[in-house]
Amino acid sequence: MFGWHGKVLRVDLTAEKTSVEEIDPQTAKDYIGGRGWAIKILHEEVDPTVDPLSPDNKLIFTTGPLTGTPAPTGNRYMVTTKAPLTGAIACSNSGGMYPTEMKKTGLDMIVLEGRAERPVYVWINADGSGDEAEVEIRPADHLWGMRVPEATDALLEETDEKARVSCIGPAGERLVKIASIMNDKHRAAGRSGVGAVMGSKNLKAVVVRGTLDTPLAEPDEMRELSRQVRREVAADVKKGSTLREYGTAYVPIVTNEIGILPTRNFQTGVFEGVDGITGEVLTDKYLVRPKACFGCPIGCGRRTTLEGSIYEGKGEGPEYETIASLGSACGLDDMAAVTKANYLCNELGMDTISTGVTIACAMEMMEKGILSEEDVGMELRFGDADAVIQLVEQTGYREGFGDVLAEGSYRMAERFGVPELSITAKKQEFPGYDPRGSKGMGLLYATSNVGASHMAGDLAYMEVFGVPKKIDPLTIDRKPWYIKHFEDLFTIIDAAGLCVFLSIRYLCDGTYEVQPTRMTEMINLATGADYTVESLMEAGDRVYTLERLFLSQAGFTRADDTLPKRMLEEPMPDGPAAGHVVELDEMLPEFYELRGWDENGVPKDEKLAELGLNR
Amino acid sequence: MNITLKLFTSLRRYLPEGCSGGACDLEVDPGTSVGEVLRRYGVPTEGIVILVNGRSAGLGRVLEEDDVLAVFHALAGG
Repeated sequence: MFGWHGKVLRVDLTAEKTSVEEIDPQTAKDYIGGRGWAIKILHEEVDPTVDPLSPDNKLIFTTGPLTGTPAPTGNRYMVTTKAPLTGAIACSNSGGMYPTEMKKTGLDMIVLEGRAERPVYVWINADGSGDEAEVEIRPADHLWGMRVPEATDALLEETDEKARVSCIGPAGERLVKIASIMNDKHRAAGRSGVGAVMGSKNLKAVVVRGTLDTPLAEPDEMRELSRQVRREVAADVKKGSTLREYGTAYVPIVTNEIGILPTRNFQTGVFEGVDGITGEVLTDKYLVRPKACFGCPIGCGRRTTLEGSIYEGKGEGPEYETIASLGSACGLDDMAAVTKANYLCNELGMDTISTGVTIACAMEMMEKGILSEEDVGMELRFGDADAVIQLVEQTGYREGFGDVLAEGSYRMAERFGVPELSITAKKQEFPGYDPRGSKGMGLLYATSNVGASHMAGDLAYMEVFGVPKKIDPLTIDRKPWYIKHFEDLFTIIDAAGLCVFLSIRYLCDGTYEVQPTRMTEMINLATGADYTVESLMEAGDRVYTLERLFLSQAGFTRADDTLPKRMLEEPMPDGPAAGHVVELDEMLPEFYELRGWDENGVPKDEKLAELGLNR
Repeated sequence: MNITLKLFTSLRRYLPEGCSGGACDLEVDPGTSVGEVLRRYGVPTEGIVILVNGRSAGLGRVLEEDDVLAVFHALAGG
């Protein structure tokens, strides 16, 4: 095979056995790779009603056919599982160096099953001394309890200094429902509590080392197309590409200007303290240098230091989502404090979005008199940086009130009788775009298979950033079509192993139709498959629909495709989106119709037949 | 009449001298369009997103008293 190695590693942690399976080429093509292959396995092998933290759940690491190839930003992997935060599926995506190294082991996918009796880690070594990767399940008692940087260093010391590490921190070990899986110390497969699933399996880390290149169907043409894309990116960087200079931290002033910057638990979309949390502040005061993932010509990563501030530490970040959640959503206008909270989340292994928005919810609950100082163990006001930093730490260890925060904002708010104050969809916290001023994002959050997520089909590209074209964020016209299209498109990007930052701008056709023309070409050159734009989009639809089927079988219905009351009934109080709510009921029927789902959000028989899927 | 011009991130360098924080209050003639303001300061008029009072606008939009004109590179993030 080309693009894919065609190999899946199974690790049975209960029996401490490993095996390698081959994947059938037609299946490889029908499901693209990454997230697509993973949902096929989950659907076939995991009961959709399984307790996510039981040994019967499976945790799947997958690369795509473009991971570890010359394709610019072909450096991603996905973590797919049934998620403890949502009860839906998790598709958490991460870049850095780890995914490429994982692909170089000659394995496309790792399926982690069962539960180890004692803490363990998996060591996969394909350093060129044999034809195939050697796989060992090793004791990790001595690593249990370590924070991410410490554990990573210890693992490199005892395996190979050239290896790459994906691991959990104290949060994942304690089954914190918003725990992430961290790779290369600072990159996160962040969302939906995937770190807790890893912790439930007593699995501290998966360490990889590989030297095997991915065979390509048309290597010369692929390199030429990749060079062409790199030239285009370089030209944009020369013109002053914002992402290189400021990272995604440039976004708060943009979302604030259109009135959708999450502020004080989404009570409004305009933040008076925005000037303290801009990309300029980060670049001028704390940036050491930009950092790129493997083979990325953009370099949006931020290597930063807090030297010169009242805090200590160095690390990576923050990016926009972190600034919106741990910053403006908590009323914080101090970039140093946001950066410090970001470092702690990375060290403890926690999703910055859910952590920030959960603390923001607790702040509003105290503001409204629902939580007392006694409940939390401290005063908790919007804008209190010290409280945010202390609560991040407590959440990671489930200490004090952190044990409540560790369940995520929905379970916390429900426990105190105010679930409507949790700004979540399917119990997952909103990312940094208030959908009252970005209507397509509202439909996306409500219907996404993973709960509220921008990465499930980020129409903010068009509604906010004008990529590839600007569309009106305040209208619902054509939004059902766009969301269906973007969900399928983002599924392809995830499944292929690409990063969205490059894919929408440089690998699509640049029109209002956003067709993945060059993306199709790139995947064909790598794999030798004969996808057309239409058949590739159909494969995206197939994967997305199968994910939905898994949700339906887990018990999700139309009632779960919804948003908090604040988004549906409380008009945005001020700013350019003032007076707006999300008209979800007006968009939902057309969206279901376009997706081929019935009025309860369940895929229809004819839709499944069209895509070659079985119940 | 007075308007406010905001140029975000790498477009800041096109702001007239003496402006700080990425924004500048300007006096323009009534009937002045967005395009005329941008051309006056040499701001690129392609590959950008234009907002007037936080809402999408085009180069031909005629500005009114106290309008806030904000411009940034069309570039994804988040």
